[in-house]
Amino acid sequence: MTTTTSGPEALLSHLHSADGSATFSYAGYTIIGAVNGPIEAQRRDELPEEAVVDVVVRPAAGVGGTRERHLEGLLQSTLRQIILVTHFPRSLIQITLQVTIAPENEYVSTKVVQANTTAVLTLMSAAIPLTATLTSVVIAATAEDGSTREIINPTAREIQMSRSLHVFAFTSHGDLILTQSEGEFTMKEWEDILASAQRHCCPSTSGDVSMGDDEASGANLGKFTRIRNDKKAHFEPPNLGVSNSSAVLAALASMGLNRGSPMHLEEG
Amino acid sequence: MATPKSLTLSSTTFAKLSPHPYLLANLQPTDSSTTPTRTNGRQPSQTRLPYINTSSLSHAHGSAVVRNGDTTVICGVRGETILTSAIPNYRAPSDDPSSSLDEARDYDLLVPNIELATGCAPNFLPGVPPTTLAQTLSTRVYSLLHSSKLVDVSRLRIYPEEVGEKNIGGDDDKKMDEAEEIDEYAAVAEEKAVKAYWVLYIDVLFISFDGNPFDTAWTAILAALRDTKLPLAYWDADREMVLCKRSQKAAAPLSLRGLPVACTGAVFTEREKQKKGSGRYWVLVDPDRLEEGLCDETVTVVVDKLSGSTKVLGISKHGGTVVGPELMKEMVITAESRWDQVRAAIE
Repeated sequence: MTTTTSGPEALLSHLHSADGSATFSYAGYTIIGAVNGPIEAQRRDELPEEAVVDVVVRPAAGVGGTRERHLEGLLQSTLRQIILVTHFPRSLIQITLQVTIAPENEYVSTKVVQANTTAVLTLMSAAIPLTATLTSVVIAATAEDGSTREIINPTAREIQMSRSLHVFAFTSHGDLILTQSEGEFTMKEWEDILASAQRHCCPSTSGDVSMGDDEASGANLGKFTRIRNDKKAHFEPPNLGVSNSSAVLAALASMGLNRGSPMHLEEG
Repeated sequence: MATPKSLTLSSTTFAKLSPHPYLLANLQPTDSSTTPTRTNGRQPSQTRLPYINTSSLSHAHGSAVVRNGDTTVICGVRGETILTSAIPNYRAPSDDPSSSLDEARDYDLLVPNIELATGCAPNFLPGVPPTTLAQTLSTRVYSLLHSSKLVDVSRLRIYPEEVGEKNIGGDDDKKMDEAEEIDEYAAVAEEKAVKAYWVLYIDVLFISFDGNPFDTAWTAILAALRDTKLPLAYWDADREMVLCKRSQKAAAPLSLRGLPVACTGAVFTEREKQKKGSGRYWVLVDPDRLEEGLCDETVTVVVDKLSGSTKVLGISKHGGTVVGPELMKEMVITAESRWDQVRAAIE
């Protein structure tokens, strides 16, 4: 349970040579991200009407394999949708994600979540114009006495015991942009899980207060966006609901001014 | 068809020059008497009929050729043995359901590989290192093989010879009982310990490529695995190696759980850069190469209807925000009819 009890932590603009950078740690993962862009694209890669988005994922140990290529593909197609690529024709936006700490039993699908978050943070730190931000969540469904139980941000053990595993990513407008579900489930179950993922990721669509109560403690990403007095309020921009997105964006913008100085947001 | 005299282009030239307006014009004809179709003549949710031919490779343990329109794939399955003593951190499998051991995944007993660099399409150069698409497909196939638990791992275990003989032999009932008793007690004992495993190398080669690689590759893998017969292998304690029975009769087919079928759709939007709700869109099921190049968002649904009710074994969607819960439901219905098609072709 250690992976879910510690909250998400983010460190922004700490790499001096990159245009934007962020380190994000959550659920056993620590990923360093860097963005360079818009920069000149190689002649054979450049697109006449939009920017090329290039994502490179490096694993914690060894060189990248087929899984990393798959992850890169997912991230690339997702990020291309939220970056305003048409603003930078013939150029390149390069996103490099280096996994530094990964849990022992890692599943690709859970890594998508942390990688997504890191990438969005990094893009914001580089002040690359985006149409929306992303929030993602992993949900495992286990069968218990005929009924399905949903576990948000499951541990490796819980994933192993689960019947199905789902990853959802939503834009800050509440649209489903990415989903990866595997295991065995029915469409009804999938819709229920999607609904709870939406509640978890887009708190503004439902009552904020009720949502805070029925979720497991610690695992609730939504809490981190709200500034709380009794806890360390870690910075959690990807969880932008419409209501608080402007506040976080403002915070990010002010951070952009002192780019280069490492900054760990605690206590709002 | 009335074409203005000033600029006359043949439809193939139009398709090459501006593919997006070409496909759009086909789907949205100005003349209301023409039915909207895709450039390949299909309706948006119409798939291509698959053709399957099995056992065409003589040296593989199982093989299948699948043709889906102009996408043709050949898949061969070859079994090789690996000794448990050669597996690092080997743990004996137990019947305990709470055991976290997943033999197929932990010992890598299923090794799929997808080869696109065969000159199957102009955009894949032959003889180059695996492209991103090939690697992505391999990963997706690998994770679906494991998450659907398609192959029954117990058939891949290789035991010492004696156990097998005891199970088969036993002339009178008393002896049978005795043997069964021993079996029961010996279940945990070393005698019945797994000595080796079959590793299935699943190789998929694209002969020609015209879109929808994942569905076709998966169908080929499914057909090839159904066709696979492994020779009866046993552990010879004296020679300390795995031996196979020579006779073909002793070869046993794999046992597969269910019949998962993948169905992919690509979302074609009216405008090239379109946000949700701002224009028309079509979900083109079983897209061809031209359509794949014009669509950002793709959705893949894996369903299995073998047990009667529809089980969903995988949903994957990326690259856009058009497909929500409603469209996903429609996609599952399309996948169900696709399942019937593939089943008819496979059997």
